[in-house]
Amino acid sequence: MSILTVENLYKNYGSVQALKNVSFSVPSGSVFGILGPNGSGKTTLLGIVMDVLKATKGSFKLLDSTPTADQRKKIGTLLETPNFYHYLSAQRNLEIAAAIKGQDENDILRVLEIVNLTQRKDSKFNTYSLGMKQRLAIASCLLGDPHVMVFDEPTNGLDPVGIAEIRELIKKLYHQGKTIIMASHLLDEVEKVCTHVAILKKGELIASGDVNEILANEDIVETGSDDNEKLLLILKLLNNYSNIKEAGNLLQLFFPVGTANLEEINRHCFNNGVVLNHLHLKKKSLEDKFFELTNN
Amino acid sequence: MLHLLKIEWLKIKGYKTFWVLTTLFLVSIIGLNYFVFNIKQGLSQANAQANAVIGHPFDYPNVWHTITYFSSFLLFIPGLMIITSITNEYSFKTHRQNIIDGWSRHQFIHVKIMLVLIISLLSTFFVFLTSILFGTIAGSTFSFVKVEFIGYFFVQSLSYCMLALLLSILIKRSGLSIGLFFLYSFIIENILGAVLNNMGGVRKINGPGDYLPLNTTDNLIPFPFFRNIIQLSTPPSVYILLGLSALYLFLYYFISVKRFQTQDL
Repeated sequence: MSILTVENLYKNYGSVQALKNVSFSVPSGSVFGILGPNGSGKTTLLGIVMDVLKATKGSFKLLDSTPTADQRKKIGTLLETPNFYHYLSAQRNLEIAAAIKGQDENDILRVLEIVNLTQRKDSKFNTYSLGMKQRLAIASCLLGDPHVMVFDEPTNGLDPVGIAEIRELIKKLYHQGKTIIMASHLLDEVEKVCTHVAILKKGELIASGDVNEILANEDIVETGSDDNEKLLLILKLLNNYSNIKEAGNLLQLFFPVGTANLEEINRHCFNNGVVLNHLHLKKKSLEDKFFELTNN
Repeated sequence: MLHLLKIEWLKIKGYKTFWVLTTLFLVSIIGLNYFVFNIKQGLSQANAQANAVIGHPFDYPNVWHTITYFSSFLLFIPGLMIITSITNEYSFKTHRQNIIDGWSRHQFIHVKIMLVLIISLLSTFFVFLTSILFGTIAGSTFSFVKVEFIGYFFVQSLSYCMLALLLSILIKRSGLSIGLFFLYSFIIENILGAVLNNMGGVRKINGPGDYLPLNTTDNLIPFPFFRNIIQLSTPPSVYILLGLSALYLFLYYFISVKRFQTQDL
């Protein structure tokens, strides 16, 4: 079953095209990352799915059927910013959210505990720090333990500990079989938790699917010696690499994921009379891949 | 709907400004009417002829008319309450969150319209009680004659609150909405009304300007004093005013709902 299916979505803000013919589908039980630089249309896309924005053209489906307001009650969503009544406490704000979602108020203490806000539950929202506001918004998403969650930049404003906690939380939710749709410009975040990914660039979908297919990584082996010219000639004798590049005073060898063998490279160089002073296996980061995808 | 109103209550309950405005409104209604009552008492005592001119505005059945007339000057306060209630949502972006959490746009806007209805009903009820209070103080015998002015007050209150709702939905920002609401209800419409009534160089008290949105409902409750002396001109027919009020209310409703259901939030 598909949790969300987006079909040929367009959105214009005046003359600005925020979304151009975007189509993809989010499979059940996935952690689906929507990636893209600032202004690429991530929030616009999620806003349309949540009915706070109206699409110019195109449609979408939730759980394989025409979307309704009641379906949104079963989806925990954090869109763009934490939106709460500034003059009410966290507790009161969550009472409103729970009432709208049709969830039991008894769940409020549980979700506040998860995001470590129990101590401050009676403080007014406008006394909260940015990170606390963000955590309260995540708590609100967790009300009623929904099967589907939508997080738009979930780690915004959080400190490093908070970021790690949210990442752990998302992983835990994933292992519980929940579907999570997450928009982010933080690739690290997506790389660490997502199973599927859609990449947006200036409103256009440039890729979507299994994270391992879309972001097929490469192993990079960095090598260095006193005589890089000789090293280059010798490395070229190796036959299983896909590419070789000079990077500063190092040489980079590219291998398909999991095929780089450092021992073999080291032995090969030594046997051919070059002693390496640098040998390092580097995973090609998603960041590199992302720049590659979004820059051309 | 009751469940939705319960949620609206959660929003209002903790909002201090709302309660300050409520208190201000209630106190002002009593205060303003008491002020007029005092002046009238003073005039009657000083000059017996004044009674002949002014009549007995605080005796039954005139008290319904007098109290609703003066109280209606304070209807901008319930209007303010509606504006803050709606523009708060826009500035906190909670209108978005309510929709995201599972309200339909239809539900959101209709809860606000219900709030308009309830605030108008409660204001009217309070004015009803105030009329009884002053009628009793004046010492006349209770009578339901002319109680229709209470009904007119309700229509007038709906009209101010619905206009406030419409402006908030269209403008979204609180300062600007409040500014425009005051400017329109106190200044623009009066100028426009005078211009319309004096068209063609003929000075008239009644004319097309009487049928502007707020004037229409204001004219349901005309100036209550000096009615014994002269009728300067024929006032607009109540039935036409009521019909037109209904039309304006429908327009406020229709545009607000349409706008909220189709715009980007």
